[in-house]
Amino acid sequence: MSTTVQDRAVQTARKAGSPRSLARQQAAGQWMLLAPGVIWMVLCLVLPMLMMIYVSFWTQTTFSINSTLTLDNWVAFFSTPTYLDSLLTTVELWFVTLALIFVIGYPVAVFIGLFVRDKTVQTSLLVLCVVPFWTSFLIRVLAWRPMLGTDGAVNIILLKLGLIRQPIEALLFTQYSVVIGMVQIYVVFMVGPVAFMVSRIDRSLIEAARDLGASTARIFLTIILPLSLPGIVVGSIFVSVMVLGEFATPSALSGDKVNLLGNIIVTQVGSLKWAFASVCGVILTVLMAVTVVALLRIVNLRREI
Amino acid sequence: MLDIHSLTKRYGGEAALDGLSLSVAEGAYLSLLGPSGSGKSTLLRLIAGYETPDEGQVTLDGRNLTTVPAHERGIGFVSQGFALFPHLSVFENVAFGLRYHARAPLRDGAEVRRRVMETLEMVGLTDYAQRQIQQLSGGQKQRVALARTLVVRPRLCLLDEPLGALDANLRQRMTLELRRIHAALGITFFHVTGNEMEALAMGDRVVVLDAGRILQADAPDIVYNKPKSIAVARFLNRYNLFSGRTDGRGGIAAAAGLIAGPSTADQRQASDFVDFCIRIDKIRVQTEAEAIGPSQAALPATYITSEFSGAIITHLFRLADDRVAEVEDHLSHRRPAEYAAGQRYRLVWPRDEGLVFPVSAAVVEAAIRRAA
Repeated sequence: MSTTVQDRAVQTARKAGSPRSLARQQAAGQWMLLAPGVIWMVLCLVLPMLMMIYVSFWTQTTFSINSTLTLDNWVAFFSTPTYLDSLLTTVELWFVTLALIFVIGYPVAVFIGLFVRDKTVQTSLLVLCVVPFWTSFLIRVLAWRPMLGTDGAVNIILLKLGLIRQPIEALLFTQYSVVIGMVQIYVVFMVGPVAFMVSRIDRSLIEAARDLGASTARIFLTIILPLSLPGIVVGSIFVSVMVLGEFATPSALSGDKVNLLGNIIVTQVGSLKWAFASVCGVILTVLMAVTVVALLRIVNLRREI
Repeated sequence: MLDIHSLTKRYGGEAALDGLSLSVAEGAYLSLLGPSGSGKSTLLRLIAGYETPDEGQVTLDGRNLTTVPAHERGIGFVSQGFALFPHLSVFENVAFGLRYHARAPLRDGAEVRRRVMETLEMVGLTDYAQRQIQQLSGGQKQRVALARTLVVRPRLCLLDEPLGALDANLRQRMTLELRRIHAALGITFFHVTGNEMEALAMGDRVVVLDAGRILQADAPDIVYNKPKSIAVARFLNRYNLFSGRTDGRGGIAAAAGLIAGPSTADQRQASDFVDFCIRIDKIRVQTEAEAIGPSQAALPATYITSEFSGAIITHLFRLADDRVAEVEDHLSHRRPAEYAAGQRYRLVWPRDEGLVFPVSAAVVEAAIRRAA
């Protein structure tokens, strides 16, 4: 009888464990919280990426693909002018779009964040910026066609105003239309983060700077611009990642004349050239990663936000 | 030097400043005391030029400042939250006003460096020039803010509750620092505070403000010993306040009992409404058995409890009308007296130390209307 009681006591003690093993169990429990996220990321991000790199070295023939490793796809990419042009076009349109988005979005964000004092009005204005997102992406892109075409709204208005004699044909199905479309869609991703950062600038800083005799331009350059830099960086990351991965806007607004890397991937996948599509994918991913890392080096986001 | 002439500012019909006039002498240290909402911040912002007055004007050395923008007034402003630029170092913060003045920027880097370091030395922050603002304590931020304002040598330096964000210990030290810096530079300081002791300690002259009007502007000892009105006495937090009616024989009938008024008070008619106050450190506590002299005033009171705070002990007594009276005892020279809770005593003070203020007819009528 007494032995049974003792055994039971020992068992209970083992179950509860010593204080140290209890702490270890708790720590293990904390790490368990990470498991769903880690599993998800490994399955949906890390594995596919590794797969993509692997496949980019496979041997591609006209109608089939096999896992014999080769550098042919990479050589083909860097020796074919079409693909290099496409890479250059991608980078070029990305820079132009990002610059235009900054020029258009930054003043709007400063206005909303700094000059609109009423929080309700501030929120309403930001919501207004998001209104275009209430229609589908494709409709938003396609809606530019009747706007920009030779007989489109923009040309009609310019003709009526007497500003031009001939309709401008270069507006649609060119690089311009692609840039216009992308700027319109993505500008809000710059306005949001910048407006957020600017609205957090203490107004007494601006008063103090003014009291010390600084001009408005100086206050902007020395106080507002540096303090809004984290917003610019976050906005630029958003915009860059989205523009670099674009394929729908260029194909809809350029009449397939402008081919970004994204469009090449779509075409290659469509014709089952998996290995070659992987090469483009890897290049695009590296480009995005370099951009994001470079932008994050500009500011220490952990300190700012 | 600075003249404020019948300055009025209204916010939505309500007057924050109501025809306020004030002159500040060159090199003075002026402290402005008032409860929150008394208009002291408004006054500061009007002088600094952040707001425009509805009526009246501010002149500096005879020059009307009404149309002069803030940064051309030669007036420095140290705001309550310090308003330091968080992304710049201490050095760059202080150098800001020298380097970036729109009309007279100082381009000589060595000269900027010399003046910034000189000012940092004055506020005791020489070793902190390269620090980031986030790495500073509250007191150090206060010093940087002060240095940033003083480095451009303003004619007048406005300090908006400069010690408000500091803890008690630091406040004491900064008080001395401020006086030292003021003495060293000879710049006129205008120090706004809601703390009566700070106002008395800092100013050559204390201005007491309430509801947008000046109640009193005098040297600190005069404000402390001879408050001009019952409202000033109330802000000082050092007086027991009573209200009652004169009995025509030099006494005041208050709810707490008949108080012998000062013999110097002019002979009023019986039944005039008056306010009366006696400073808490003028009162002595006696047993009921002890005699009262003819030059003394007395009120019966029941002992409640005492609050001990170092060299000072504050005794609390309940008066006949159930209100609490304070008696302050300084312990530097003797052992504290001990009283029995619930026991009756007499609060005694020299009659002439009491202060009597006639109550205006308008106030009396308003009080009667409220009661009815």
